[in-house]
Amino acid sequence: MKFTFHVSPSIKNNLSTQRIMKELSLSLLVVFAAAVIYYASAWGASAALHCVLLLACSLITTFVCESIFAKIMKKDVKTFLKSSFGWVTAIILTLMVPVNMSCYAVIIATVFAIVLAKLLFGGFGQNIFNPAAVGRAVILQAFTGVSVGLISQATPTTVIASTYHWLPSNATVLDSFLSQYGGFAGLALGTYPGSIGETFSILILIIGVLLAVRQIIDWRVPVVYLGTIFVLTAVVAAITGIDSYHGIPAVIWYPLLHLLTGGVIFGAVFMLTDPVTSPTSASGRVVFAMGAAILTTLVRLKANLPEGCLYSILLMNMFTPWIESYFDGKQLELVKKSRIVCACLALIGLAISFYAASSIQKVDAVPETAAVVETVEVTL
Amino acid sequence: MSLFLGPMRQHIPGKKELTEKSELLHLMPKKEVYIPLVAGRTLDFDILVEEGDTVSVGTKLAETKSGFYVPIYSSVSGTYKGIVKRMHNSLRPQNHMVIECDFKQTKVQSFAPLDWQSATRQECVDFVKNAGIVGLGGAGFPTYVKYMKPDGVDYVLINAVECEPYITADYRSVMDDAKDLVTGAKIMKKMAEAKTVYICIKESHPDLIEKVKSVLTDAAGVEVRPVPDVYPMGWERVLVREVLHKEYGGLPAEAGAIIGNASSAIAIAKAFEKGEAITQKNLTVSGECVKDPHNVCVPVGMPVSEIIEACGGYTQDTVRLISGGPMMGKTIVNDMFVVDRAMNALTVLPAANDDAIACLRCGKCSDHCPSGLQPVRITAALKANDVDEMSKRGVMSCIECGMCTYICPSHIDVTENVRKAKRIVMLKKK
Repeated sequence: MKFTFHVSPSIKNNLSTQRIMKELSLSLLVVFAAAVIYYASAWGASAALHCVLLLACSLITTFVCESIFAKIMKKDVKTFLKSSFGWVTAIILTLMVPVNMSCYAVIIATVFAIVLAKLLFGGFGQNIFNPAAVGRAVILQAFTGVSVGLISQATPTTVIASTYHWLPSNATVLDSFLSQYGGFAGLALGTYPGSIGETFSILILIIGVLLAVRQIIDWRVPVVYLGTIFVLTAVVAAITGIDSYHGIPAVIWYPLLHLLTGGVIFGAVFMLTDPVTSPTSASGRVVFAMGAAILTTLVRLKANLPEGCLYSILLMNMFTPWIESYFDGKQLELVKKSRIVCACLALIGLAISFYAASSIQKVDAVPETAAVVETVEVTL
Repeated sequence: MSLFLGPMRQHIPGKKELTEKSELLHLMPKKEVYIPLVAGRTLDFDILVEEGDTVSVGTKLAETKSGFYVPIYSSVSGTYKGIVKRMHNSLRPQNHMVIECDFKQTKVQSFAPLDWQSATRQECVDFVKNAGIVGLGGAGFPTYVKYMKPDGVDYVLINAVECEPYITADYRSVMDDAKDLVTGAKIMKKMAEAKTVYICIKESHPDLIEKVKSVLTDAAGVEVRPVPDVYPMGWERVLVREVLHKEYGGLPAEAGAIIGNASSAIAIAKAFEKGEAITQKNLTVSGECVKDPHNVCVPVGMPVSEIIEACGGYTQDTVRLISGGPMMGKTIVNDMFVVDRAMNALTVLPAANDDAIACLRCGKCSDHCPSGLQPVRITAALKANDVDEMSKRGVMSCIECGMCTYICPSHIDVTENVRKAKRIVMLKKK
């Protein structure tokens, strides 16, 4: 008879990190499958195959980089790969790149994401920046203009940022924008070319709800992030006094336009919820998501970039350690402090909305260039 | 669901079905019992019998010399053989009084019963003190201490929650002695001068709720309060949070409540009405690695090896034997210890393998900590060996309920890290 020892408690919940990563990978693959089906049906088999090729490049690069790293660190390659979860980064990165991106750009971006943003920090659980976001930023900075020329249509974020200043002010102007993408329904369903996985807003939201219910992601992050963007852009709509759209008041359609265009929904569900690079406490995550939402809105409306989601994530990643130590202590005693911080953030957000609303030129007439954009520009 | 706080609790599969419907086995030791001379932290006892004396069930054997007054009574009839040092379930060798059984179980009344309805409050409290009633939920704290100064106490919460998985000993006791529970509740209400007594039972035990309600006649101010089936529902602070919607600093009395265990209430009723001390103990013997899981009623001081044998023995060659439940119970690496009064279960589980991987910083430990601590941050302070940060992060409020380890998806022994931090902070204070 042998009695073994183990410190208490002696039982464990059946939700393991391996299962969290498995469910997350499956969710991402569902989005990827939707993309393949859409591109195959709308743009032909070669576009769909290109998506698969990009994912394959990213995955293979990830496994090669991690295997070499494991060898250098004298660790067992198989166990290292299994507990490093690099493939999740690879899938997310692929879903974020524009469909026209070339394979070599994705390979280089993956090397940056896996080696520089993750392994050099000490591997899984130690990295400061979201690795996939780093990879995407590399593409944005180094490979703008790279295109394999499979699909020629401008993404909505490019168009709305460059020709509409993110502020179409009446139904006619909005229609001229929306008609290129099948109206609000087209934006919601994702039936237009763009970043491979970011366009399928409704699908991603449904997956997000499922993941939150299954405790894979924290509901606070997407709810606070998307909610804050909605409120801030509604304020902009109210101040600028833009028109209603076929009976829908501007404070509703304008925020919806923001949520359905670009990568915010994908970012909210799959990027900001990355546990490694976000704060651990509930209060911290709320502040983190609010800060990201304010930065996203600011970058979109006032910066040179068409989209703000990516940089808002990377910037908030830098704040994570600070948010963590700010909310150290007993959480029951920190509720008041959390409320105050959120109220301050809300004020900053509103100030930004006022500033943006008062300084952006409204677009009242259909711009001439709106219908003649020819190539896909690289956007977020 | 709160924006700034996690759930602070979690449903844990109870595995209660292993034992809850089985009949109660009454067991007797093969030869001797070893009654531990331990009362909380007190180890200093006056022995009241001589070697070779004949004792009966209920004979007073010893009482504490220092600390809180706690008497110790014999659980069997037979002959007192002296004191031996052996392993106690606190993992230290302690003195035990050896009594050789004569298997007649002749009983003496330990003390005269008391009519609690005509006695004064103070007489009742003194009676509980002299009867040696201790908290039977696990801590073994003398019950009378809580009732010494009941100023501002409006509620008594009787804890029949039993939130530890596998354990059904309280369920069995309340099912069998529901009337005594209600009598005990009335006595506790009187001692606390409280307005209301809530008997807290998990809503997943509707049969038990019905049973207690059926004997709640002419008990004004005593109510059954169903509570959710979550862990650690039976911890004072969580119980007060759920039932009274209050938080408190040190003791529940600050929130106007006294908490008592259901088995303690039953023991109080038996003491007042029959003059019986705590000599027998209902115990759940359960887990995947015991052949025949059962609830058993055993004399205090019976060796664990004999109890396991009566339940069919172990099913595997390598097991983890836990004194208590799987969450807060201690793993003990032999079965030579004996049943103490505050013990309520023996859980036998398969040996565990260590499969921890890196922390993914998911924050589930912070979301679920019933004390609202952030175990992941305490672990970070421990790794940095920063004692000031450890205490700033509230490590001393940890009750080691085990939630953080249970919930950790990376299978890290988080509770053990917090425990280490606690030890370091305590050493620093000295």
